[in-house]
Amino acid sequence: MGRPFIHRSPMPGLGVSMGITLTMLSLVVLLPIGALLLKGANFGLAGIWDTVNRERVWAALFLSFRLSLLAALFNLVFGVLLAWVLVRYRFPGRRILDAAVDLPFALPTAVAGISLTALYAPNGAFGQIAAEIGWKIAYTQWGIFIALVFVGLPFVTRTVQPVVEEIEREVEEASATLGASRLHTLRHVILPMLTPAALTGFALSLARAVGEYGSVIFIAGNIPLVTEIAPLLIIIQLEEFNYDAAAAIGIAMLLISFAMLLVINLIQIWSRRRIGYV
Amino acid sequence: MSDAAQIRFRAATEESPAARWTLIALAFAGLAILVFAPLIAVFVEALAEGVTASLKSLASPDARDAIRLTLTIAAISVPLNAVFGIAAAWFITKFDFRGKAFLITLIDLPFSVSPVVAGLCIVLMFGANSALGGWLVAQGYPIVFAMPGIILATMFVTFPFVARELIPVMIEQGRAEEEAALTLGASGWRVFWTVTLPNIRWALLYGVLLCNARAMGEFGAVSVVSGKIRGQTATMPTTIEMQYQEYLSVAAFSLAAVLALLALVTLLLKTALEIRHADQLAAAHRH
Repeated sequence: MGRPFIHRSPMPGLGVSMGITLTMLSLVVLLPIGALLLKGANFGLAGIWDTVNRERVWAALFLSFRLSLLAALFNLVFGVLLAWVLVRYRFPGRRILDAAVDLPFALPTAVAGISLTALYAPNGAFGQIAAEIGWKIAYTQWGIFIALVFVGLPFVTRTVQPVVEEIEREVEEASATLGASRLHTLRHVILPMLTPAALTGFALSLARAVGEYGSVIFIAGNIPLVTEIAPLLIIIQLEEFNYDAAAAIGIAMLLISFAMLLVINLIQIWSRRRIGYV
Repeated sequence: MSDAAQIRFRAATEESPAARWTLIALAFAGLAILVFAPLIAVFVEALAEGVTASLKSLASPDARDAIRLTLTIAAISVPLNAVFGIAAAWFITKFDFRGKAFLITLIDLPFSVSPVVAGLCIVLMFGANSALGGWLVAQGYPIVFAMPGIILATMFVTFPFVARELIPVMIEQGRAEEEAALTLGASGWRVFWTVTLPNIRWALLYGVLLCNARAMGEFGAVSVVSGKIRGQTATMPTTIEMQYQEYLSVAAFSLAAVLALLALVTLLLKTALEIRHADQLAAAHRH
């Protein structure tokens, strides 16, 4: 970003604010990410592929993405429901519910991790009930799913809520006047308006779940090939001072999550265009 | 909605009462299981052997060192990120330049990077094996497995928080007030302190609150860079992990309860800000 790119402005503080912004951004974010990519460049694509192309790594990557996708889908449905209920209905306890939606943002992941494990372990409050019907939750993929639902819970609600607030009643009234049933209106008028925001929340929830570590490792059981998530593999490699392998898996995760975000952003652009609602 | 008609007839733009109450019940049930139950479980487990046992474990050297370190880390990284957030928001909203969208994307980047990958990046950049890290260690300034590394990791994962809150608010407020102050002869700093800051203070506080909650609770990135050395680089979340794995359940959950209380206070303050100062927060938080 050289000088010709910046328009002249009477505002003061260009040098200071640009200096602080670019210096800190580089030092804290860009240079470290650059170090990872550089490590990968030295290693070469073939080297990365050799490291990643092992049964244990594939299993961990596949597990992370599959369960993240399922958790994000759950959060998509429940998040839209929550947003609708919180904006449209008035009932006692609404404020508390609204504030509670943000708890997964505020509660440290390690705290969530041990607490979910305590609940869903075979001797825990929920685990006991599940055990009676022979359903094992903690230390299985179910446990990982629940932890990922927890961390991704707020995203869809928080992106959809402002959109629900801005829906003009006239649109619904028009639909009703034209003879549409309430369900028809919800399905064909309201839902399309919420789609872009819901997809954004879905994408954020998915990205968060894929990289999640703290809340998952306690409840996962961490059995290789079965309940071992991708971020844990990086930690294991680092603990063995195997920096090349850790970097290779890290780059793979970075690339896949960027690709996912790109695809979902494209879906969003497409749906906005189709509906013509911004 | 007219009052008399509402009793007998449902407005065409409303769901039937049955549908409405079903949805409300689902919302309550879902949040009870997903959010309230884990929150309550933290305190139940912490107090499993009584308040005294819980308090005693919090007074242990491990817990005290962890609390002190976590407070120190937050006290350094949160103000630094606040300074960054203000500078970035000023740069982005007060000037017109090409590549603005790209810059915002870069600032948001840490949100889409796994905390573990973030920690890995810092290890690769500043670890003893890297050129820079090796040189720094030789000078007597180790970054990784020491406090600076934890601060960098914390700053990485909380990087966008303050900037994200400020940018939409400052875009909405525009530049007119600052321009007026400048025309009247105020200096740049004076404009910032007397015009801009009062306008953005609640949004700033909101961002700082969220940034602080995340900074004190960060686990993945800190796990990677800290080395978890007891009494030296073990933060509250990593100490919780160690105690939990040593089957010190009460100790782990007591420390967890302290962090859970912090989370509750954060939510309380955040909700208060949303109610009292909605007009001065980013539009997405007004509800």
